[in-house]
Amino acid sequence: MNKDVCRIKGSRRGLVITISAGADFAEVLRQLQEKLSAAEGFFAGAEVKLAFEDGQFSKEQVDALAELISAFGMSLDRAQPVTRYSPAPSVGEAYKEAEPAAGEETLLVRRTLRSGQKIHYDGNIVVMGDVNPGAEVACTGDIVVLGSLRGVAHAGIADRVDAMVFAFRLEPTQLRIAHYISRSPDEKQPQPLGPEVARVVDNMIQISPYTHWGS
Amino acid sequence: MGKVIVITSGKGGVGKTTTTANLGHGLAALGRKVCLVDADIGLRNLDVVLGLENRIVYHLLDVVEGNCTVSKALIRDKQHGENLVLLAAAQTREKDAVNPDQMRDLMKVLRKEYDYVLVDCPAGIEQGFRNAVAGADQAILVTTPEVSAVRDADRIVGLLEATELHDPQVIINRIRPDMVRRGDMLDISDVDDFLRIPILGIVPDDESIIVSTNRGEPVVNDQRSRSGQAYRNICRRLEGQEVSFMDLQGENFMQRLLRRIRVGAANR
Repeated sequence: MNKDVCRIKGSRRGLVITISAGADFAEVLRQLQEKLSAAEGFFAGAEVKLAFEDGQFSKEQVDALAELISAFGMSLDRAQPVTRYSPAPSVGEAYKEAEPAAGEETLLVRRTLRSGQKIHYDGNIVVMGDVNPGAEVACTGDIVVLGSLRGVAHAGIADRVDAMVFAFRLEPTQLRIAHYISRSPDEKQPQPLGPEVARVVDNMIQISPYTHWGS
Repeated sequence: MGKVIVITSGKGGVGKTTTTANLGHGLAALGRKVCLVDADIGLRNLDVVLGLENRIVYHLLDVVEGNCTVSKALIRDKQHGENLVLLAAAQTREKDAVNPDQMRDLMKVLRKEYDYVLVDCPAGIEQGFRNAVAGADQAILVTTPEVSAVRDADRIVGLLEATELHDPQVIINRIRPDMVRRGDMLDISDVDDFLRIPILGIVPDDESIIVSTNRGEPVVNDQRSRSGQAYRNICRRLEGQEVSFMDLQGENFMQRLLRRIRVGAANR
C-alpha cells in the first residue's frame, strides 16, 4: 500500500482535500475514491475545496477530481484554487525567532477575493490582491493582505488572541481576532494613509499604523 | 466564427436589456451581422425594448426543444432586417426549462451565422445566469455607480472566474456628472478601484433612454443623444477601435442649457 497522498480534513466551515507534494495523479484518484466510498453518504451535500501541497494540477485533472467528488453527492468549490507553501525547514540561527510555530503553515492566495468568496485555513493567510466587501478570510493564524481589505477578516479563529491582521489599506467591514469582534464605524472615516495592523490590546481590537516589527 | 458575448450584472434594473438592445443596433449599424438572445425566460423584455414584441411566433425554448428550426425562430429587426435578429425568450416557462449544455449547443449554431451573438442575462446568480453564461466567449458587466450594484458586479466577476469566462469588461451606466461633481455619486475611479477590470464604456444618465425604451427604438440611433453617443463608442471599441471616453465633466452650464433646448426641439 502506498503512502497517504490525499487527506480529507473537515474544518468548521467545510471540507478540504489536501493532495500531497509529488503525488501520482492516478494514485490520488484511487485513494480518494477509496476514502469517499468508505464514508459513503457521510459527506453528501458538502462543498469541498482542494489544496495542493505543490503547484497545481491541470484543469483536466481537477475536472476528473470534481467528477469523482460529485459522484459522491458533493460539490467542488473551484472559486478557490489554492496552493500551499510549507514553511522552509530552516532559516538559520539568526532568524530563529521569526520562525512560525511548529505545524503552522501559510496559504498564499494570488488573486483578489470578491464578494461571495471565502477562504478558511488552518494556519496563516497571505492574499496578494484585495479582499472585497462580501468576501471572507478566516484562519487560525495571522492574515496579511497585500492590497485593500474591505471584507471580513477573522484571524486566530481557535482563540489565538495574539493573532494579527495586516493590510496595505485596512478598511474592513468587520474584523475578528480570536473571540473579539469589531466593525467599521458607521460614519465615513478619513482613508488610512498607509499600511495598518490590527491586534488585540487590552481586550479590544486596536488598529495602528504599521511600523517595523523590530521597533 | 462570431463572438458570443453575455451581458450580465447580478443586480436587476441596471440596464442590461437596454445595453443589449443598443449594442445590437449599434453593431448592426457598423455593418455587422448580429443576433440578440433573450435568456431571461419568464421575464422577457428585450423584444419590447426592440419594438418586436408583436412579431414573436417561436422562442428560445421552441428551438431548444426542437419544435422549430433556429432560422425560423429568429425575428428580423424593423430597421436592420437580416443583419439584426432576435431570439426571444419564452414568457410562459421558467428558467430551469433550459440547461447550460443546450445553451452551449445553441450558441455553437448561432456563432456560425453571426459576427456577434449578444446574450441578455437575467438578474440573479441562479440557473438563468448559469444558462446565459454557458457558451459565451466574453462577458460584459453592466453596473450603475451605486454601491449595491457594484457589489453585485464584484460577485459576478468572482463567479465568472470559476467558469471559462475570464477578463470581463464593465460598462458603467447612468452616471450623473453633476452628482459626481457634488460628491454624491461614486465616480469612475471609485468603481475602477473596486472592481479592477477594464472599463468598456461609460454611459451618462439620460431621460431620452426611457422615452426610447418605451417606444421600442434604441437610443443609439439618435445622433443627438449623449447616451446614444456613448453606446456608439462602445460598439466601436468592441470592433477593436481606439475611442477615448466622452468628457462628461467638461460640459458647462451653457452647453447643458443648449443641449436641453436642442433635445426639447427635437422632441416637439
